[in-house]
Parts: sequence; structure tokens; C-alpha cells
Amino acid sequence: MRFRRAHRRPHVRNGSRLFATYAAASLVPVVALGALTLHSYREDAAEQGRAQGLAQAAVIAEMAVAPALSNEGYIGSAGLADGLTAEQATSMREATEQAIFRGSVLRLRVRSFTGRVLFSDDGSTTGGVPVADPDFQAATAGESRAEVIGTEVIRVLQPLVANASGQSVGVLELYLPYATIADRFHSQVSRTWWRIGGGLAALYLVLAMLAWWTTRSLSRYAARQEYQATHDALTGLPNRAAFRARTEQVLAAAVRDGGTGAVVLVDLNRFKEVNDTLGHHAGDELLRTVAQRMSAAIGPADVLARIGGDEFAMLLPGRTATEAVALLREVRDRVSDELVLEGVPLSIEAAFGVAVYPEHGTDVQELKQRADFAMYQGKRGASDIVVHSGSDAAHPHQWLVVQAELRHALERDELVLHYQPKVTLPGGEVCGVEALVRWQHPQRGLLPPGEFLPAAEHSGLIVPLTEWVLRRALTDQVGWTATGQEWTLSVNVSARNLEVPGFPRLVTDLLAETGTAPDRLILEVTETALAADTDEVARAVAELGGGGIGISVDDFGTGYTSLSHLRGLPITEIKIDRAFVADVARDSQSQAIVRSVIELAHGLGSRATAEGVETAEVRRWLAEAGCDEAQGYLFGRPVPWPQISVTAHAEPEGANR
Amino acid sequence: MRIRRFIAATSSALLLAAGGCAKSEPAAVAEGLDITGGVTVDQTLHDRLPQAIQARGSIRLVTDPSYAPMEYFAADGRTIIGFSPDLATALGEVLGIRAEMVAGSFGSALDEVNAGEFDGVLSSMTDTPDRQAEADFVNYLNAGTSIVVQRGNPQRITTFETLCGRTVGTEKGTLQEEMLQRLQTRCGDRRMVIDSEPTNADALVLLRTGRVDAVPVDHPPAAYLVSEPRTSAFYELASEVQYEPGLFGIAVAKHDTELRYCLREALQRLIDSGIYGELLARWGLTSSAVLTATVNGKSTTV
Repeated sequence: MRFRRAHRRPHVRNGSRLFATYAAASLVPVVALGALTLHSYREDAAEQGRAQGLAQAAVIAEMAVAPALSNEGYIGSAGLADGLTAEQATSMREATEQAIFRGSVLRLRVRSFTGRVLFSDDGSTTGGVPVADPDFQAATAGESRAEVIGTEVIRVLQPLVANASGQSVGVLELYLPYATIADRFHSQVSRTWWRIGGGLAALYLVLAMLAWWTTRSLSRYAARQEYQATHDALTGLPNRAAFRARTEQVLAAAVRDGGTGAVVLVDLNRFKEVNDTLGHHAGDELLRTVAQRMSAAIGPADVLARIGGDEFAMLLPGRTATEAVALLREVRDRVSDELVLEGVPLSIEAAFGVAVYPEHGTDVQELKQRADFAMYQGKRGASDIVVHSGSDAAHPHQWLVVQAELRHALERDELVLHYQPKVTLPGGEVCGVEALVRWQHPQRGLLPPGEFLPAAEHSGLIVPLTEWVLRRALTDQVGWTATGQEWTLSVNVSARNLEVPGFPRLVTDLLAETGTAPDRLILEVTETALAADTDEVARAVAELGGGGIGISVDDFGTGYTSLSHLRGLPITEIKIDRAFVADVARDSQSQAIVRSVIELAHGLGSRATAEGVETAEVRRWLAEAGCDEAQGYLFGRPVPWPQISVTAHAEPEGANR
Repeated sequence: MRIRRFIAATSSALLLAAGGCAKSEPAAVAEGLDITGGVTVDQTLHDRLPQAIQARGSIRLVTDPSYAPMEYFAADGRTIIGFSPDLATALGEVLGIRAEMVAGSFGSALDEVNAGEFDGVLSSMTDTPDRQAEADFVNYLNAGTSIVVQRGNPQRITTFETLCGRTVGTEKGTLQEEMLQRLQTRCGDRRMVIDSEPTNADALVLLRTGRVDAVPVDHPPAAYLVSEPRTSAFYELASEVQYEPGLFGIAVAKHDTELRYCLREALQRLIDSGIYGELLARWGLTSSAVLTATVNGKSTTV
């Protein structure tokens, strides 16, 4: 959880930054629009004010001033340059004093074109607009101009038209009160301001909401994208890439700060079976359930990831190997709780491989390989939680090399077969041989199977390897048959071989090729392989046994075979593991076990064969206990078949007497 | 119509701007941008002008600018525009002098010319025998009188005779005033009230406000009044009839024969060169054209 959240935070930050940018960007046009509208409205209102002033002035000029100045005929082109007559001045005063008294005109001057003040309501002949003023010049050219002075007064300069023919005789300079006009104008502007401001605020709000909504969608989308890129869709767990990235982080921190921890690989034992028999849907359900159970078991700092079909990985920082194993036991217990899928109750078992850092390395790949190796050891062995042993022989790198070389070895025919004799008890005649593969390595010399078989088993190379052994051994058998020996041939086969469809067919074909009777071949299968209890293995064993080929249970007593597994299988031989045989002459418990195995074998209609017989004492005990056959250094080490001693290994008479 | 008037007004303004400048250089406007640019100064005529005019470099003509489109004030209230100023400018160009239009009272214009204040009258003055006693006329237009009434003709005035018993406005000293006075003698007991105003514009103000029932006006300005958008809403013609058609003339003092001769000759040049026709067309006066320049209605008089 923390893992996920830690990655989401940058998106939130990016999202809010994007939103801030959007919001700021949309604020610019909104404010500009508001300013522009307000400005032009203000201009319009001012223009209206001026127009109103002009209209008032025009009415005053036409209704009061022009009649007062009216005289007969025309005035010279210089206009009223000579001043007003006494009569005109009197009527001007009469016409204007009411307006002045009422305050509808603040000041009124009649000017000649040259600027002389011909009449002023206060009687003075000074003051007034300079002639050079553009407004005055415009008025002499027949144009009316209004100008607001301060906030209280509007000044109008207009041509003075004194008669009906439209002759302009001077300039009328009027000062009108502007306060009422200005008040109305201000209230209009402020009303408009509120309306436009409110509208724009609403508009901005809409834009901001759109921006917010968009950025939220975007950041959610980005977060979802990243989540999908780093998580497994089925279980919701981090995927392989995310696990790797997270592990690299933790390992880097561990290298820096000296932390410890464990990398764990988990493989479900029976997943393939569930998938094949109950369908993919059940398989998915199984994976989800297992993921949930494992998640619930681990701590908050731990990371669980699904890195493949039924493969999971865990990172357990801050834990020692012991602590990690303790935790994994709990995980295992939870995972193996009964689970009902499609109505079928199941118990899922998982194999855990553990590699600890920094002890086993500080590189993700290295740790994973070691954990992987440990896990496969667990699958082969009895324990399902295996910590990497740290041995060089089992070094994963070595494995890879071995696998690669073994592939070449098969092609170059570097493998050789040695045979160890099996003798009858109590007579001691050689009755059969077990084929054991050796590798004539070009650099390392002759290698025993322990050096390369685990690698072959792990990689699937065991399949062609077993085929090669079978083919070669059957050919060898033809050889010793020709010399008159009737020895049976025992060949070890892996569970993997039995799982390959068509394996029984291959065996019978090989028998036919070499003209060997089926009962002269014995296939040795480990107890663990039989215990896997898969349909393929059981079917293959049944088919092979049915064809007359001998089936031997190898290493009996060390695995987990439920005795019920043996029932119904065409077992012809049970090989008692050397662990019980070695001290059978002295240890009463081993004696009890061996005795009962012999009895079991006989009860199943099989022969009992003891492995690892090294002393005559043991041989004698086994013969007395009724063991049918024996194998061991006492009778001969594995050698090329021509070197097998054909003489009977008779019991030395009176050796113990 | 409007466009044409605009062009006219613009070119008039140009002409007057040229005329108004202090330089007395003859033919200052003949710069190819003007339609009268084709007119060349007739030096012979220039040399026959009275000494005073030659010395001044300009001819001063009095006019009553209340008679659109003949002569009236432009929007600035100071510039006089119209057919008459355009004609005066064109005549001045032929004669090699500036033509100066001065606003003045129509009623006293002839007296002022005879007193020597102005060289002549160019103010849509009809050439009548009575006036020929006071001055000589160089005839430049042919028009009668129309009766202007309020729009809708509320007083049902149809002919000149129906003015009897009405209040009629007119401009002091005009032919129309004289015509009304003559009609008065025939009205018997249905006497008219004749309101003589200082200018034609004053008379029209009275008509507009209903203080007079009709104003007889020379046909060109009457036609202009009822077609001009600004005034056509208020006025209409009582009928299409033009009463007492006669000639408009430039009045000059009887003793000023050389000036009279020069003006007639110059006018004839304008008629011959087509400039006269062009100016008439500009102001919508083509139907009022004269064919030859005459003096006191007689083409033979020199």
C-alpha cells in the first residue's frame, strides 16, 4: 500500500500545478475582458455626458442667446468683432440671469473669433478659454466641443449662430453643472461594474471548474496508467518490473545503510493441475485468493509481487534469515488453508526459496537466482521453505553453465554409461544392472551425476538426457545379451519424463528397435515423483507397467509417498533406501523398517531390493530377512558393462563363524 | 444628389480657400485639380477691368446667404457656398482676379453698390425693369417664383391668387415682395398680411412655425427646400407652376460699363467652354440655364 501511495504523490503535485496554470491562464482573458468592457463603458458614459452637455448648450444657445443677439441683416465676416450694442447686452443679461440664478448655467461668455470677451454674466471682460485652445479653434470653425473639468463642471465651446440663415458670429463659452450628470453616470458605471464583474466571476468560476475537472481527470488517468504499468491486473499486486524497481531501491539503501533482508520466490505446487482440471477461471480465482492470503500475512514494509503465472516474489526488508523463515511459515500455513474452488476443496502448497542480503549478494538478479535455486531444491526435497545454502557447487551461475555445457555434451556424445550390478539373495548371481550416467567433461574429467543431474532436472534438459540414456543402455543391453548374459536393465526416469505425453510410446518403440523383451527393462521412479500424484505420471506408469515393463520405486522410505499411491500401480520392485540399509545389521529400528518394507513389497507382489549394501554382515541379515535382491559396493561399483564381474558373488562360507 | 453636393461643397471650399489667401496672384487656382483649370485668363478682359478692381486684385460682390442652393452658409456658419460663389470664382478666373463674396442685406444691396461699397450684387436678384433703373444686370439664370407652404399644405393654397386673405412671408426688397404687393391690389377686401423679413431664412422660420401661411420663393431655392432631407419634412410646393419667370442677374452700377462688359464676356466664355453647364449641373439647376450671356435681358446691348 505504501508502495503505491509513494508513487502517486508526484501526480497529485503535477495535477495541482497544472490546475494553477490553467486557472492563471484563464484569469488573464477574463480580467482583460472585464477591464476592456469597463473601460469602453466608461468611455461611452463620458461621451454620453459630453453629448448631454452639448445638447443642453445647444438649447441654451438657440432659445436664450440667439434671440437676445438677433439683429437685422448680416454681421461682417469678422463676426461680432465690434462688440455688442447696448440693447444686445441688456437682452443678453436678461436672458441669462434666470439660468445663472437657478444654477443651470454656471458661467456664460460670448467671445469674438479673436477671443475678445464681448459678454460675460459676471460683467468682467477677462478670463475665458485661450484662443489657441483646440476647442476654441474648433468652435470658430463651426464645431461644438464639450469638456468635463474636474468632476463638477462641463465646459462647452460652440459657434454662436445668431440668425436663421446659420451665420456664425462668434463663440459661445458655457460652463454647465456636471454633478448630476456625473452622479448618474457613476451610478450607471458602478451598476454595470457589478453586473459585468459578477458575470465574469461566474464565467471564471466555470472556467476554473473546467480546469479543475480536466486536471483531475488527467492526473487520475496518469495515476491509473502508472498503476497499470506497475501492477498485475489479476491480483492487483505489483508486477515484475515494479518488484524489481522497488527491490533495487531497497538494496541500494541496504548497501548504503547496512540493512539486511530477504528476497523470496514462491511457486505454487499444484497450480497447473488446478488450471488444467478446473479451468482458467478457477486458476485465476486461486491466484487471487493466494495473493490475498499472502498479503494479509506480511508486514507493512514487506512487498509482495506477482512475477509470473504462479510465481510470486517477496521482499522482506529488515529481517534475518530466521525471521524471514518464521514469517514464511505463517504465510505457508495461511496459503495452505483449505480453499473451495468450483465446489472442489483444495489445499494449496507453495515452495518458498529464500536468499538473504547482503549475505547472498546485493544484486536483484543474483538474489532472485539463488532464491529460485533454493525453491527448486525445496520442490525436490522434503522442505517447502528453503534458505539458500550458499554452497559453491549449487551456485546458480554454475548451474547455468552446466546446463549450457550439458546441451553440448549431449550433442558431442560426452556422456558415458556405467552399470552397477544387482544380485539375487541369497545366491549372489548378477541378475541385472542399473545404468548410471557419467559425464566425461573435457576440462573437469569424469563427473558423477550429482554434479549435473540437478541442473538437468531443473532446466527440463532431463527429458532428452533420459532418452539418450535409455537409447544407449538398451543398445548396451543388446551387447551383453550377445555375450550370453540375461541381466535386466534398470534406468532412472524423472517425474518430468513421465509427464511428457508419448513417453511410454517412446519406450516401447526403443524396445522394438533393439528387439528387447519389455520385462528386461525396469524403470526406476523416485518415491517423490510418484507422490506428485498427477494424472500424467499415474497414467504413464500404468501404461508402461501394462506393457510388461518393470516399474521400480526408488529411494523408498525417504519421500512422502502415501501408501495409497502404490495401490493400483503395477509396481514390480521396491528399492529400500541406503539410509535404512547401512546400519540394518545393528539398529533395531532400521531392522523393523526394512523388515516391514520387505513385507510390504512382497504383499504388493513386488520384489524388495536393498541399496547400498557394503558389508557381508548386512548381506546376510538381508538374506535372512527375505530381501530378494541387493545392490552395493559389496557386489561391485558402477563400471562400463564389459568390466562387470560375471561370477556369482557367493557368500563367503563360514565368514562369521 | 448628396454625393454631388459633397463634391461641390469640397471643390467650393477649395476654391474659396484659394480665394481667401492673401496672395493676389491671378489664376492661383488653375492647377489642374479644378474643373475650371481649363479656363485661361483673358488678359484683354483683365486689362479692361476698372482700375480699382485691378489694383485690389479682387471683385467684391455682396450676397444674402440665406438662399440655398444659390448662396448660403456652410456648416461652419462663416463660409458662403452655393452656385453663386462657384460662378463668381469661375468668372474671377477668367478675369484674372479673385472673387470675394460678402454677406449683406438683400434689401439694401443695390444701394450699397451704387454707394461704391461693393462692385456688384450676386444674390439671385431678378432682373426687373424697376431695378434696371438703379443698376445694370448681367443675366446668368432663368427662373420663376414658386410658392412654398407647410408640408401637407394645411391652408389649401393652390395658385398665386389664393394667397389673398392669407398671411404671407417674404424677404424684404425681393421681387416676391413686389409681386405680393401687386397681388394685394387685386385681393380687394380679402387683404393679405405681408410679413417682410430681413432674410429669406427668417421668412421660412415663420412658415415653419405657422406664423405665415406661405412664402413665395424663387424656384431654385424652393425646389432645393423640398428635396433637401433636412427641410423636405416641413415644406412642400403649392404647385409646380413658376410665376413670372425672369432672369437673375449680377447687378453692377450703371456707370460701371467696363465691369458690366467684362462680366458678360467672361460669362459668355464660361457658357461656351461648358463650365457654366457643369456648375449648374452640380447644384441641380440645369433647367434654369440661359443660352447666352445678356445684359438687362438684351443680348445686343454692350
